[in-house]
Amino acid sequence: MSQTIYWITTIFLFVAGVYLLAVMERWITYGRFDLLAPFKRSLALLGQESVTPRKMDKVFYETAPLLFIVATLMAAMVLPFGKGSPAIDLATGALFINAALAYIMVSILMAGWAPNGVYAMIGGWRFLGQLIAYSMPIVMAITATVMRAESMALTEIVNSQQSLWNIIYQPVGFLLFYLSAMAMAFLPPFDLPTAPGTLAGGVWAEFTAERLLVFRIGRLALIMTLSLATNVLFLGGWYGPWLPDYLWTFLKTLAVAASFFGVSRFAVRIRYDSLLEWSWKFATPAALFNILWVGILLLL
Amino acid sequence: MNETRFIFLIFFGLVAIWFGWRVFMTSSMVRSALSLLASMVAIGAMFFAMEAEFLGVLQIMMMATEMSIMAIFMMMYMMDPGGLMGMDMSHQKSASISGGILVGAFAIGVAMLTSWGGMALEAPLPSKQNHDLGIEVMKRSMMIFESAGVSILVAMIAATATALPYKNNQL
Amino acid sequence: MELSITLIISAILFGIGLYGALGQTNLVMIMMGVELMLGASMLNLVAFWRFLHPETFSLQMFVLVVMTVMALEAAVGFGIATQRFRTKGSIESEEASDLKG
Repeated sequence: MSQTIYWITTIFLFVAGVYLLAVMERWITYGRFDLLAPFKRSLALLGQESVTPRKMDKVFYETAPLLFIVATLMAAMVLPFGKGSPAIDLATGALFINAALAYIMVSILMAGWAPNGVYAMIGGWRFLGQLIAYSMPIVMAITATVMRAESMALTEIVNSQQSLWNIIYQPVGFLLFYLSAMAMAFLPPFDLPTAPGTLAGGVWAEFTAERLLVFRIGRLALIMTLSLATNVLFLGGWYGPWLPDYLWTFLKTLAVAASFFGVSRFAVRIRYDSLLEWSWKFATPAALFNILWVGILLLL
Repeated sequence: MNETRFIFLIFFGLVAIWFGWRVFMTSSMVRSALSLLASMVAIGAMFFAMEAEFLGVLQIMMMATEMSIMAIFMMMYMMDPGGLMGMDMSHQKSASISGGILVGAFAIGVAMLTSWGGMALEAPLPSKQNHDLGIEVMKRSMMIFESAGVSILVAMIAATATALPYKNNQL
Repeated sequence: MELSITLIISAILFGIGLYGALGQTNLVMIMMGVELMLGASMLNLVAFWRFLHPETFSLQMFVLVVMTVMALEAAVGFGIATQRFRTKGSIESEEASDLKG
């Protein structure tokens, strides 16, 4: 497949994925299936008056939504969709995902600090603790997949799963990556920075109109990116019978995203202190155990 | 000499210097921590321009977390006007300015006056670099790497022990 | 030429970092100056690796060690800052004269 077709297919599938995720989120959360809902919501947000708080930090207020979406798209750029070369084939792709996603935290921090409001700031600092705690298990789970592939390039990681998917080879790593990805995208059991019940919107409380729209789209793109990463690292990427490789990636990614939304529909929001406690006391040792497990399996 | 790389180096170098300067010039703590982050990211981008891909990614990843932690500590421990009014927290101004300029000028002089010899034209490919760095870490520099690990452990214990509150029955 | 320009940039960064480390009164700001100086030194190391010895990987190894040192310096510094704040309620270096021997 030539490069141009590859690019068009990838971008089309990514945008379609984000759109379907928007529909799916509404469907699973509110039980209403409406294909036009994302457009209606976007138009409503665009038509809103853009209210800005008094005495805000202007630079951060304008940068935060943009940084959010740019960081997400940077992470999405290195993830391969199909057998052709991915958009950017970095030799350190597995590390690069984590590096780009660390800037989600910086963006939320900026968004929490900028509007000069109490709820926003508490949300921002909460997310700092949450993401530092959960980037440990996520980076260690990625390390275990890198160990199996003996390469940090993402295409190599997918190729290493041709015979046996990583979800069976290292189930503990998959579980950690799955939960940490949900924490990273602050989906409902872990949605402490926005926390509609306790913080009245948290970091996004002071953002209206087009800035909120950028945040919303960025969040959906983030969920899409993380599902794609789960697929590439643990679910065998594009490998599967009968269907073409792009379609397999797309379907698996949507399935992972649907399971994200399903879990968040039925799980209870975790208290902040137990969230951090579980990460440092249980998830990080489990991730170390996972690395040991993969090492033993590789030496056998 | 590679023109594109040259332009990238100068551009990101200027970005790094500008944000490095802003760190000590703003009157808001979070701004100054995030300026330092921007400066470090520009340094990471310079690593990329010099084809050290692994180090660049590592730098960009580590600095995001480190500088955010720095931001929260500055918030906790400093009187912070949040950029709404001026503040000055410097001392021995003339001495430190002249010290900075002198040392910088000395380093520039050394860099300009030394003859560095022939430049290497080609760097190894990124995948080969990762492989060779791993071999280096695991074979020749194993001892150094291990001591770095031990010092991380020591620093963890030391930082936790230092930060613990005094109890009355202690000492 | 590329080596020289990189070294000049890192020298300027080092100068700024030294100014910050000497001129600021606050412990966290002093640590920021030190971080800037360490960043400049890493830039030097990578430039030497790329333009003088691209086949020697001890230089990259050294960069890793410097990154470790940066993280450790931050961790221990924050520990000390926390303790100072607990006991004295301030982390200004001018008020730390009771640490004199």
